[in-house]
Amino acid sequence: MTGFRYGVSLYSYTDDFGTVMTLEDAFDHVADTGSTGIEILGETSVPLYPEPPAAWIDTWFSLIERHKLEPTNFACWVDTRIQIDRNMSAEEGAAQIAQDLRLAHRLGFKFIRPKFGVIDRELTPDPIWEGAVERCLDLANQLDLMILPEIHAPTPIRHPVTNAYIDFIERTGTKHFGLMIDTGIFQDRPLDAWGGGDFEAIKKGAPEMVYGTKVPVEHLDDVIKYVPFIQAKFHRIDENLHDHQIPWDRIVPKLKDLGYSGYLSSEYEGARDPWVAIEQVRRQHALIRQLEDQYDAAKLETAHA
Amino acid sequence: MLERSHIQSTGFRNVGPQGARTGFEVRLRQANYRSSRLSLIEGVDITVDGVLYPAENNLFRLGEREYTLAELNEATQTRLYVGDHFTVVVPKEGGLTRGVHLVGSAIRYRHPYFPPEFQPAIVRNERHATIILP
Repeated sequence: MTGFRYGVSLYSYTDDFGTVMTLEDAFDHVADTGSTGIEILGETSVPLYPEPPAAWIDTWFSLIERHKLEPTNFACWVDTRIQIDRNMSAEEGAAQIAQDLRLAHRLGFKFIRPKFGVIDRELTPDPIWEGAVERCLDLANQLDLMILPEIHAPTPIRHPVTNAYIDFIERTGTKHFGLMIDTGIFQDRPLDAWGGGDFEAIKKGAPEMVYGTKVPVEHLDDVIKYVPFIQAKFHRIDENLHDHQIPWDRIVPKLKDLGYSGYLSSEYEGARDPWVAIEQVRRQHALIRQLEDQYDAAKLETAHA
Repeated sequence: MLERSHIQSTGFRNVGPQGARTGFEVRLRQANYRSSRLSLIEGVDITVDGVLYPAENNLFRLGEREYTLAELNEATQTRLYVGDHFTVVVPKEGGLTRGVHLVGSAIRYRHPYFPPEFQPAIVRNERHATIILP
């Protein structure tokens, strides 16, 4: 029976990283969850990005080896509105993606997630995305990497943004571009804290982010063939392994039914008090593994009945 | 090591010769979760004991180099990394008095991946900090 692969994004440790947590600490916490994969943010985790010192590259590979973790996704950004009065051209966007593909490859990653600048409230990416990505498909092929934009709240699955990415895959026939699903789109109960910035400001300015996008998990059926990687976004899991916002009891069986066997890479985005993230990530792994075990046990029982 | 608050205890001090202070400065940690091209930082407002010192008049110092707002916008290839700190230099004749002050900061980050109406995002912090030398 195929299973999920488990990983952690170092985004989870935002605010701890750089104040009370080093990269070595982070590897220790990730490895102890039983994960096999580690996801980083290039600009955050790589010193002197985009040109890390050679000695750091050695450190990186020794950590990978010691903790038996594989590099999964390398998060990066295409800062389209690069200056207050000037936007990036498609050529500049392509240069940014190419730079991240090369660095990600050098560090052993399989995916990059470029986060494009957007032009509206539904997170429609700057139109340069298409020309920028298309210019990089040959390089992605040479380096054996996939470029994955994320489907992120408040953009649902059935939406022109998602459709445009799928049209691009179909038109180019590429195997090096796909969709990353951020499980924040399934949020169906309100946030009580937000780890992405000022909670009061977002309540006032973007209530759709507080109350949830509430995408039905059945919509995964439409797109799962384009999805090689999932960011397991969550905000709070209590002592009873109850998630207060993300409906894992519906997400996990759906992904199992669809035969998904890629990574679930934890992205904790809740209260940012020191060290809270370490425990929250562990609870999420316990919760999802429990649901996966229950699903597998039920299947086994049906098979033997 | 950096303190968890954006505003750091260390680095809060008067500038200019004692007796003829020209201003004060405040040290802050990178408050964003990723490094920022300096061109994505639209300045930092500082308040001390309720008095606002707007970003337009302040200088931004990273390492040895000081930037005006216009110079920040040009610095597309210089980054403020996570784990780094920077200093806001605030002009104020006479500087600040010795003692504990209530200091506020509002960093204006432009996140291109936020909807345009949320650019820049204002990231605030407030805490007590101490001036030792008037």
